[in-house]
Amino acid sequence: MQWYILISLGALAICLLSCLYHFFRLVRYGAPKDFSHKLGNTGAAIKYSFTGAMSPLKKESAYLHLPTYSAGMFYHIGTFLTIIVFLLQLTVIRFPVVLTYIFAFILILSAISGTGILIKRIVVRRLRKLSCPDDYISNIMVTLFQFITAFLLTGLIYQSVYYIAAAILLLYIPVGKLRHLVYFFAARYQLGYFYGWRGSWPPSKKY
Amino acid sequence: MVINDNKEKALSILSRGDGKLQVHLNSCVRCGLCAESCIFYLSTGEERYIPARKVDLVSSVYRRYNTITGKLVPGLVKARELDEVTVMEMVDLLYGSCTMCGRCTAHCSVGVDISYLVRVGRAMLAEMGKVPSTLQSTVDAAIRTGNNMGIPVDELIDTLEWLEEDLQDDVGDSSAAIPVNKSNVSILYTLNPREPKFFPLSISAMAKIFYAAGESWTLSTKMYDVTNYAYYSGNLNEAREIARRLRDVMYELNARTCVLAECGHGSRSFRWEGPNYLQSSYSFETITSVELISRYLKEGRIRLDKSLNKERVTLHDPCNLVRSGGIFEEQRFILENAVSDFVEMNPYGYDNYCCGGGGGQLAMSEYGDRRLKAGELKVKQIKNTGAIIVVTPCHNCVDQLMQLNQVYKMNVKIKTLAEVVADALIL
Repeated sequence: MQWYILISLGALAICLLSCLYHFFRLVRYGAPKDFSHKLGNTGAAIKYSFTGAMSPLKKESAYLHLPTYSAGMFYHIGTFLTIIVFLLQLTVIRFPVVLTYIFAFILILSAISGTGILIKRIVVRRLRKLSCPDDYISNIMVTLFQFITAFLLTGLIYQSVYYIAAAILLLYIPVGKLRHLVYFFAARYQLGYFYGWRGSWPPSKKY
Repeated sequence: MVINDNKEKALSILSRGDGKLQVHLNSCVRCGLCAESCIFYLSTGEERYIPARKVDLVSSVYRRYNTITGKLVPGLVKARELDEVTVMEMVDLLYGSCTMCGRCTAHCSVGVDISYLVRVGRAMLAEMGKVPSTLQSTVDAAIRTGNNMGIPVDELIDTLEWLEEDLQDDVGDSSAAIPVNKSNVSILYTLNPREPKFFPLSISAMAKIFYAAGESWTLSTKMYDVTNYAYYSGNLNEAREIARRLRDVMYELNARTCVLAECGHGSRSFRWEGPNYLQSSYSFETITSVELISRYLKEGRIRLDKSLNKERVTLHDPCNLVRSGGIFEEQRFILENAVSDFVEMNPYGYDNYCCGGGGGQLAMSEYGDRRLKAGELKVKQIKNTGAIIVVTPCHNCVDQLMQLNQVYKMNVKIKTLAEVVADALIL
């Protein structure tokens, strides 16, 4: 096995251990506890939290910012795709050529979306004032890795570059805001539980 | 401003082993898309009012003391010391520019409970003795006298006695009563102290509804205050004490249901937060007067003639009652039966804008100008409906709307739900 693959495997192990630490820490804290009398349906609300509440039909941060919302969706699809590609690269499974080019196309689109989000963060004053170095570094790393993955799939880049880039990204994930890879799901769960307990979510059908 | 010895206590709040707290402290990605959900940002355009900035104030302190990156490379993740500058900014933004309405929370792209984190930040400030003195004095009055306006018991009884006489005249029945301190009743009813102090007609209205429904009910002179401003100040011990008093009165009088008066934060703090403050479930039912009136209508215990309320009515949904309390259909069902011409605001219900009076803002006079400015959105919403009457089941909202009415010359009447229902009652 090549040295760069070993390095990326080491980075993957560190990243996984860190993410698992965060995950199991939350599991250890247990399910939300509420002593008040339940009014609604928490299960339905958690489902709604991950579905309807995220849709641009209901979420103001989505329907008021459709270009950003769309770019964000593409960007995250691309991010999950890079993870899948990376894990499959470590196995003997190889994609059909057609699929490789489709993936590369999606990744180029998502990386362009990520670049757009980065430019927005730099250009829009209110976002710039809100940001810290971690915001820029996280975006640049993820976006670059999407480009690099697309180039790898189309044979435009050395494997060593790909695996080193993967290792750097994997090592950075636990450091900054990319940890929301774990916390996003927990946050949507918590929010769904909160609103569900009180009967606010899912919203009344008359709404 | 000096950071006192309680800094460690304040910081210990952030390291609590609480899953909800840890999740929300770690989830914000600073996308800034919450800006348009905030009435303070929308009405002023000031970047510092963006909800993510408020989250960041709390979570940046968390990162500084609770994460390896924050300890080793604070500049990378904007981890901040809990120093004088940070505390001053926290006081100004967390108390002075947030009503904890939760609109940003519901629309957060990630799902961060922003208003909860603001409350956590306020709890930290409370530990350090940094609650604005105006807000603290309201809490102090409640702790000292049993109600946030410091109304003496004999003054309350005087008010209730003349209201009872008025009720008897109004319904033409000398047995109509406003019962006080009765045991073994169905309902213990609570009041917002603003009612006996400034708006006694809302007590009359509810008493008339109870009379029409033939209800067995009482008020307690020992503890009738539905409000809990310690929920807003962030002082958990004081919030617990206020909730405990109301719970204990329920047990003492052996009432079956505690009915919370028209007060958004009051109903939230006793019904939803109270059991958690006290770490035990109530053994009695707790509902809002909105749910009770709706129940009376559905059960046929009261009848309304909506032709008696002919003017156009719109509804302001209190954030704590609707978004954070799940009460959405009941007030609409009531208004459909109580008024001839009901029109919704836009947006309404779960998405309604806060009036600007929540979060303890009405008690904090130092932020009064900001509060009135934040209310501009509500003014536009109301004007767009063309309504003559604005109904809201919350006395805090009533106060803020009355001030907005005066400042922005809306020429509308502000009423509680019970008042509108009482006007349409068929006896």
